[in-house]
Amino acid sequence: MDWKDFLRRIFLIDLIKGLRLTFSYQRPDATYTEQYPLERPPVAERYRGAPRLNNHPESGETLCIACNLCSIACPENLIVVGWARTEDRKKRLTTFTYDLSRCMFCGLCEDACPVDALELTQDFEIANYSREGMIWDRQALEEGPQPARYTR
Amino acid sequence: MLESTFNFVIANPLLLALIKILIIFAVLSGIVAYLVYMERKVLAFMQARLGPMRVGPWGLLQPVADGLKLLLKEDIIPAGADEWLFLMAPAISIFAAFTVFAAIPFAGNFYVTDINIGLLFILAVSSLGIYGIILGGWSSNSHYPLLGALRSSAQLVSYEVAGGMALVGVLLFSNSLSMVDIVNRQLSMGVWYVFLQPVAFLIYVIAAVAETNRNPFDLPEAESELTAGFHTEYSGFRFALYFMAEYTNMVVVSCIAVTLFLGGWLRPFASYSALDFLKFTPILAFLGAGGFVLWLGLKSSVALERHFFMVLAAGFVALAILVAYPPVLIAIQGIFWFGAKVLAFLYAFIWYRATFPRYRYDQLMNIGWRWMIPLALANVIVTAVGRYLWLSHHAATAVAWLGR
Amino acid sequence: MAEATFLDANELVINMGPQHPATHGVLRVKLKLDGERVLGTECIIGYLHRGVEKIAENRTYAQFTPYVDRMDYCAAVTNGMGYVEAVEKLLGVEIPPRAQYTRMILAELQRIASHLIWLGTHALDIGAMTPVFYTFREREEVLKIFEEYCGARLTTHAFRIGGLQYDLYDGFERDVVKFCDYFLPKIDEYEQLLTKNRIWINRTRNIGVLSGEDAIALGVTGPVLRGSGVKWDIRKAQPYEAYDKVEFDIPIGEHGDTYDRYIVRMAEMRQSVRIIRQCVERLGPGPIFGKVGKVIKPPVGEVYHSIEAPKGELGYYVVSDGTVNPYRVRVRPPSLINLQALDKMAHGHLIADIVAIIGTIDIVLGEVDR
Repeated sequence: MDWKDFLRRIFLIDLIKGLRLTFSYQRPDATYTEQYPLERPPVAERYRGAPRLNNHPESGETLCIACNLCSIACPENLIVVGWARTEDRKKRLTTFTYDLSRCMFCGLCEDACPVDALELTQDFEIANYSREGMIWDRQALEEGPQPARYTR
Repeated sequence: MLESTFNFVIANPLLLALIKILIIFAVLSGIVAYLVYMERKVLAFMQARLGPMRVGPWGLLQPVADGLKLLLKEDIIPAGADEWLFLMAPAISIFAAFTVFAAIPFAGNFYVTDINIGLLFILAVSSLGIYGIILGGWSSNSHYPLLGALRSSAQLVSYEVAGGMALVGVLLFSNSLSMVDIVNRQLSMGVWYVFLQPVAFLIYVIAAVAETNRNPFDLPEAESELTAGFHTEYSGFRFALYFMAEYTNMVVVSCIAVTLFLGGWLRPFASYSALDFLKFTPILAFLGAGGFVLWLGLKSSVALERHFFMVLAAGFVALAILVAYPPVLIAIQGIFWFGAKVLAFLYAFIWYRATFPRYRYDQLMNIGWRWMIPLALANVIVTAVGRYLWLSHHAATAVAWLGR
Repeated sequence: MAEATFLDANELVINMGPQHPATHGVLRVKLKLDGERVLGTECIIGYLHRGVEKIAENRTYAQFTPYVDRMDYCAAVTNGMGYVEAVEKLLGVEIPPRAQYTRMILAELQRIASHLIWLGTHALDIGAMTPVFYTFREREEVLKIFEEYCGARLTTHAFRIGGLQYDLYDGFERDVVKFCDYFLPKIDEYEQLLTKNRIWINRTRNIGVLSGEDAIALGVTGPVLRGSGVKWDIRKAQPYEAYDKVEFDIPIGEHGDTYDRYIVRMAEMRQSVRIIRQCVERLGPGPIFGKVGKVIKPPVGEVYHSIEAPKGELGYYVVSDGTVNPYRVRVRPPSLINLQALDKMAHGHLIADIVAIIGTIDIVLGEVDR
């Protein structure tokens, strides 16, 4: 060990360098915390969150054509599409059940839907107090989750 | 009426001592509780996060919440544990930790007592705290706490030796074991002992960190070790007592280091009257604290927090105005400088915890016995020889002899 | 190991249970001790077994893709990459270059993220409690890019069989380059905290030494193998995607101890940044999906395809019987094979070092147990 390394060792230079780094982190702009209920996180556009059944923006009718492709695509088989034939022999959606407790938010159902009726939105606050509450019917899917907003 | 009570108290030194003890005990408990809070906040800021923020404004009521929680927890005594020892062990730790404060001078005229063997008393009583650890581990009737307690106490004993020997270097300059005398000698010599004994200071700091079981020497209490240390089986208030004892020990070693090396209650350059303007620092410090609290409050988005911080800031400004009154300023100098130095020392403890990994146990003992103790001994020898040559004016002849 | 020879009168068996703050998951290690020295270890795994390979037999090829993310949950993108490439090999599909470079960028970002978790948790086990916060902050930036790209941070499901589902979002290149510029000084910060720190060196030098021959004999791969001095990286030896078109170095260690593996992984992070920068330059316009039919029905056959995952060689052995469901998917988990080296590495060390050694092998129980 040459004399420079020896001096570095006895003056604890390596330890002091580490101390300098942690000291420099005390400046306010280095704090990375996001205080959650007060500051909501920015969610990406493509975020795969809570599912939603979209309606036509003008007529308010559901966009879903009851083709059952989402149900076939789902790896967990948790979508159940109920349909009935109307008078003019067209398929019409009656019930739509989505079991969120088994969903892994993979997005295969969203990819499979040919008319962009089923969409995984940016809602991530989908906690519920009961197992039954996680099974969403058509109305819950169209409305979306209504999380409680905390101000403090 | 005030005059007569004042005279009565002065006439009865025991009563005066009792009042001082009560004040110190109350203030110290508060300081220890808020030391935990300060550690969490400082550690958090160094780790790019915020620390406790929810419990009170800026998390200030967190120690209260923690204390309440520990008080209300279930009191578990393990089966087969030696019950009396199990109950007494945390008490021993905390008795030892608090008793030390009887001999520590907080200001030139504020100390419970000034024993003429003050330093010896302090070292002896703080060593008694080790009993609390050993007995706690033993009485838990479980092999993990026992192993942890043995390791912990072995570590403490080893570093007590090193720390004690480092302090002998200071004694060679001060010629007295009394804490007040040591500080007064620093005043009369005009220099703090840290500049005369840097090696001893370094050794003492390392020994202090090891003695309080703090990072980087906290393997006996680390969670990622197999044993969680001597306090595994403790819960509720007993655990709180151990916790408080650990933080009080931190304050004790800081106070000792400040008194012996950093000039105790003296302001920087206390013997130079040219720098007397430094006596206005307390005013500036309180104004600065008030401004900082105001800034914090204005950044908050909750109205209640804002009001609280403005009141706090106003309180600091009022304190600054109170302190500006000359008699108060003179009276407060000692305790202010002492407090500031101890605070800096405690901050350093937290700083080390944030930065360093921890040593393995055998490496820790290696450092204590193979490096710290020989270094401390060498320091004592060199200091002694140097002092002798200096005092007996034989330095000139010795140098002449060496250079012949 | 037979029970009769495992125990001796002078020896103590201690259980580092499945619930332990330092075993990186539910790993149970039985330590045979002589005083404080470890004589042998026995790992008992299976606490996180979820039957992923059995699930594969009842899902179609495309439906199984989200499941592979959950094995090594710290590096979901590379898991997906290995599986998707294996099936593409079975199908004989060519991926267009834009998809290849995108996959490489995401895989290297994931390698950085996985190594950041390793660094944070390893330092935390050894006692330095700050690097974990810094590394997770850097990881946030990577996960933000993933979220913008495919919609999920951790279980990304980023790739599809045949190419990519999503094209790059506007500003992807800008975000990735910004991350690279932001990240390189951070590696210097971690090095400032740890690399020359005497306590760190004391805790990691000559701990968990694994020689090159032992490593090869045990089948160890990844940074553990490279730390022992063997220059083997599947990205160079059996290039997949477009790794043969980019330039990067393979850092190797000398002594095969924990410190060398630390240096190797830090250097790998820098090399990943280098690869990402080159891929971003070479990203050109084009299709993102190869020629794959609507229904994925590979011909009867089998394929073994392995990639360089952050933890080591991640291999997929896919057997197809001509139907839409695979007949068998067998995963070669790098963490499990690397864990076999624990016994050899732990011999003669103290209990306090076991935690460091488990950390340096960098295991994820999701992968070990599947």
